[in-house]
Amino acid sequence: MRIKISEKLDDLNALLSEIKRSSSEVGAVTIFVGSARGIGNNGGRVLRLEYEAYEEAAVKALERIIEDLKGKYGIIDAIVEHRTGEVGVGEDIVYALVASKHREEGFKSIVELIERLKREVPIWKKEITDKGSRWIENL
Amino acid sequence: MAKVRVKYFGRVRELFSVKEEEYEVEDSSLEDLLLKHIPSRHERTAREWRKIMFPAEGGTSKIGSSTLGGNYLIFVNGEPRDIKYKLKDGDIVAILPPVGGG
Repeated sequence: MRIKISEKLDDLNALLSEIKRSSSEVGAVTIFVGSARGIGNNGGRVLRLEYEAYEEAAVKALERIIEDLKGKYGIIDAIVEHRTGEVGVGEDIVYALVASKHREEGFKSIVELIERLKREVPIWKKEITDKGSRWIENL
Repeated sequence: MAKVRVKYFGRVRELFSVKEEEYEVEDSSLEDLLLKHIPSRHERTAREWRKIMFPAEGGTSKIGSSTLGGNYLIFVNGEPRDIKYKLKDGDIVAILPPVGGG
């Protein structure tokens, strides 16, 4: 398991190679990439996004989520990286990779991982558009 | 006397223009910190602070009857705590607005 909350994401191909090496039992790697949309929630043109995190608590929360997914679906391993700081339109924000024996548990796990990341992990996003700026809450 | 560190994030950090600060409190709960100590240091933004944290009371919550605003969380030393939690020397309190990652 590897979790990184930082201004820069690692190379996605390198992360894929890393998680494939985690066990000879890996038969599927399911990947989610979140990137910055050009149109904001208020309909305005996005100029940039700003992310901040309570890093220690965010890492703990993600560790808990991944442990839960291991218990629930029997996944082998997971890697999650999330940006902080300024993010431009089209840039990647989050990478989540799940290694499993089969695709089915990978699909279920990646959905649950991202849904829980959005609800439980202390990361905040401010959207700055040409119509103003606001903090986005994943309610 | 207990010395506690308070960390702010997101809209609350922006409201106070500070990431973290220290408070010296005596025989105090988290509720005392939120309703007494923090607003008395941030007088100019105290009303907005109360509205954000205690919206059900319209920002006029009194100690002993307060209900934290929906989806706000208070962590102490990395764990979520009820506002009746009694503060101890060295505690690190984090005020967490509703999250927005991903």
